[in-house]
Amino acid sequence: MIKTRRKIGFYLLFKSGFWLIFIFGTLLFGIRWTKGAGYLDLYAVLVNPILPGAAQREWIKEGENIENNIRLKLLEEDNNRLRNALSLKDFNSDQRISAAVISRSSRSWWQQLEINKGAKNGILKGQTVIGPGGLIGLVDSTTLLTSRVRLLTDPGHKVGVWVNRTKSHGILTGMGTNRPKLIFLNKNPLVKIGDAVTTSPASTLLPPHLTIGIVQFVDEKALPSPYAIVQLTASPEAIDWVQVLKK
Amino acid sequence: MARKNTKFLLFFTAICLPLITIISPDWLKINGISPCWPVIWLLPFSLKNGPWRSSIAAIFLGIFMDSFTLDKVSFVPSLLLLSLAWGQYGLYNKNLKLLFNIGLMAIFGTVFVGLSIWIQKIILYGDLRNDWFNSWSIYVLISEVIITGLVAPFFSSWLLLAYKKD
Repeated sequence: MIKTRRKIGFYLLFKSGFWLIFIFGTLLFGIRWTKGAGYLDLYAVLVNPILPGAAQREWIKEGENIENNIRLKLLEEDNNRLRNALSLKDFNSDQRISAAVISRSSRSWWQQLEINKGAKNGILKGQTVIGPGGLIGLVDSTTLLTSRVRLLTDPGHKVGVWVNRTKSHGILTGMGTNRPKLIFLNKNPLVKIGDAVTTSPASTLLPPHLTIGIVQFVDEKALPSPYAIVQLTASPEAIDWVQVLKK
Repeated sequence: MARKNTKFLLFFTAICLPLITIISPDWLKINGISPCWPVIWLLPFSLKNGPWRSSIAAIFLGIFMDSFTLDKVSFVPSLLLLSLAWGQYGLYNKNLKLLFNIGLMAIFGTVFVGLSIWIQKIILYGDLRNDWFNSWSIYVLISEVIITGLVAPFFSSWLLLAYKKD
């Protein structure tokens, strides 16, 4: 007997296992859409009891003191130069969220960290992440309980930076190694080996004067624009705690 | 019963794949680089299931793994081509010399996946067309190939044996 269309539809949906493939497909695309949110949240809950404790925080504070001294000096210079002239973007040190690194991929094709604070704690995409030594990266995405941080070293990642001594701007581009490439925006940056690289005081995206690194190599004759290689002061491979700066 | 166990094993290992990528234990790394887990999982599946089923699995696996990475660079194209090649190979070579063959195929697979990511990154980011990035990519590729070549004979062979018991 020929089956009616309705019966065939019923057969295809429930008897042939098509619904199983449909549910599986929906689940998979759900995971893809949320960038693995469920997995990351579950992992954050599981590793919470074994996160590093007080000793780690003291070590971070030591690193912070060094970083703060450099930043203080830079801020004083900046204030003198721009006194009564400009109103600069600044950030409040109370607006920091401490977070533990729960997963690290700092040397492979994708250079990222997963931290145990997410949208629930007020973290948003694009916020700045710092560690002992200075800027580490920017928040790329968040879930309820975790955030994914794109490191400065990730290939293709670009951040606007500034060399304070020569007041020259450039774009720091990740190359995979611990030494990103700084492409200058002007033809004669006059930068020397050993100059400190920080975030720009005029930036509207990042807080000003966050330490990034030290210039290790300069090619002023390079075309189309001169470039430098920068050694980062913060090493993501050794950092277990970071701070996210709220905008 | 054995079929049910195999299905459970398949499902369980697939679910664990992103978890092991997130955890990325230090003792399973060379120069800070983890094995290419999608290749390790896909290889035995393709050898056992033929090109069509494995190509569907490769697309799903690629989408799944892309959820845990940063940018638009995707695992899907390389895994899809590998699944077709391995699936075809598996159809005509039923008696594989497990350890040697699987290790070698995993090495070629990792090279292919690595090259695909490398090329995609260069296409997506014009600034990466330089020697600094290329030399770093070679370093990552070699490290990934070595660690995958060491791990695959154990994990992939175990999975393939489990499928064959079915």
